Amino acid sequence: MEKESKSFVLFPSHMHGLSLEKKLKENKIKYAISPTPRELSSCCGISIMISSADVEAVEKILYENPGIKTDGIHTIRQQAKKRFFDF
Amino acid sequence: MADYKELWTSLDIDLEKHDQLCAVLPEFYGEIYMQQENRPEAMNYYNFVVSEIHGYRVQELADMRKDGRKVVGTFCVYVPDEIIVAANAASVGLCAGSEFWHPDGEKVVPRNTCPLVKAAAGALVGNTCPYFKSCDMLVGETTCDAKKKLWETFAEYTPIHVMNLSSMKREQDYINWQGEIKLFKERMEELTGVEVTAEKLSESTKLLNDKRRALQRLYETRKVANPPISGKDALLVTQIAFYDDPARFTQMTNQLCDELEKRIENGEGVFDKKAPRILITGTPMAIPNWKLHHVIETSGGAVVAEETCTGVKYFQNLVDESAATLEDHYNILADRYLKTNCACFTPNTSRIDDIIRLYKDYAADGVVYYTLPFCTTYAAEFKAVKDALAKENIPVINIESDYGLEDAGQIKTRLEAFFEMISNK
Repeated sequence: MEKESKSFVLFPSHMHGLSLEKKLKENKIKYAISPTPRELSSCCGISIMISSADVEAVEKILYENPGIKTDGIHTIRQQAKKRFFDF
Repeated sequence: MADYKELWTSLDIDLEKHDQLCAVLPEFYGEIYMQQENRPEAMNYYNFVVSEIHGYRVQELADMRKDGRKVVGTFCVYVPDEIIVAANAASVGLCAGSEFWHPDGEKVVPRNTCPLVKAAAGALVGNTCPYFKSCDMLVGETTCDAKKKLWETFAEYTPIHVMNLSSMKREQDYINWQGEIKLFKERMEELTGVEVTAEKLSESTKLLNDKRRALQRLYETRKVANPPISGKDALLVTQIAFYDDPARFTQMTNQLCDELEKRIENGEGVFDKKAPRILITGTPMAIPNWKLHHVIETSGGAVVAEETCTGVKYFQNLVDESAATLEDHYNILADRYLKTNCACFTPNTSRIDDIIRLYKDYAADGVVYYTLPFCTTYAAEFKAVKDALAKENIPVINIESDYGLEDAGQIKTRLEAFFEMISNK
């Protein structure tokens, strides 16, 4: 079973993440600050989770705001099966 | 990605072992927190704090220390932060909410020690918690036997000051606690080289009362028919209050409350309208102990308040801001802190009054009495609480559980039966 895919924007530092957050708010794009999934990076820190449908819009914001550095936008398919709680 | 390895190395963290902790947190948090529907947007700040849990704030503390300021680690809501802040130091409530720290803890404390104390022991001696390693001094207190003996172990590793809290609340116990606060003030002055004046104490009291007011405002929003925030999100906010920068925390929590109050105006809640409303009472829940809230809220219940140290005990009583002299401050602080009804006191009947009052104030349908294993004082008080609640016709269920997840399914089954029972009342 698979759930919808989610996309994560990764950053070289939290400062860039917070800058993008501001732009997402201005553009009314739904997002959530999230711990970076381990399969995408082994460093602790924030990423921004967006709907995969919004990737293009976010790429456009990043293009228009070259000051905001990222380590890419990565899409992962979320498994419905949970690891910690079986419900 | 942000790389904090240099920072952690400077704090003498066991990087390899610490990485095992980092490996689990994103998915664990994701499963419990990120899959909630209709979360308040302002929870993004707290997502940020957890995502950067061993990074951003630890870096801030390191920067403070570079500037000559001190960091003090605490373990109990009885330690007066007012003194620490007035000495221009930062206070961090040290978390110990994961069984990850137990194997290291068991090297220095008995196996049958409560999970909280055992985890704190493991976090320090295993060199896997950057907050412990950021502290210039730890502050212990005599609120339970396990902790009392832990301080003796900790003294082998790090500077520690222990505050002697009496087990009763007689006049001489108030006088004793005033004296302990004065001694603590002197120890803080010695550590920081900063003179703690009455004026500085008034300022720190105001700062910390503002934080308490923000938390009171948050909890007020949970009293409505369909609360605009989940119990586990409210728990997270309170847990973060213990170690975040107080002024920033207050500002962000007031922003969250603005959003929650708007939600209430619009009739927007996060629970099923029929969800039984649950008051939790018992032992504290340190990050990342979110288990009970998660099980309750995935079993159809809604947690509306916590009569715990990571709940109302932390902030329900403000400190009187009228003190003019140091003696006034000692008296006022002693009075305020001794209002906290911890199971370490005998007798402790005021805690029962608190539970009944909160049950009514939050329009709860039932009480979940939570104890960590080997917490004798809280476990022992269950009988008196149960008897008093029976007289008031208040349903209660006792859940004893540690940090392991093996019993989560079993707890869920018991809670579902309890919720069914109270929903049919």
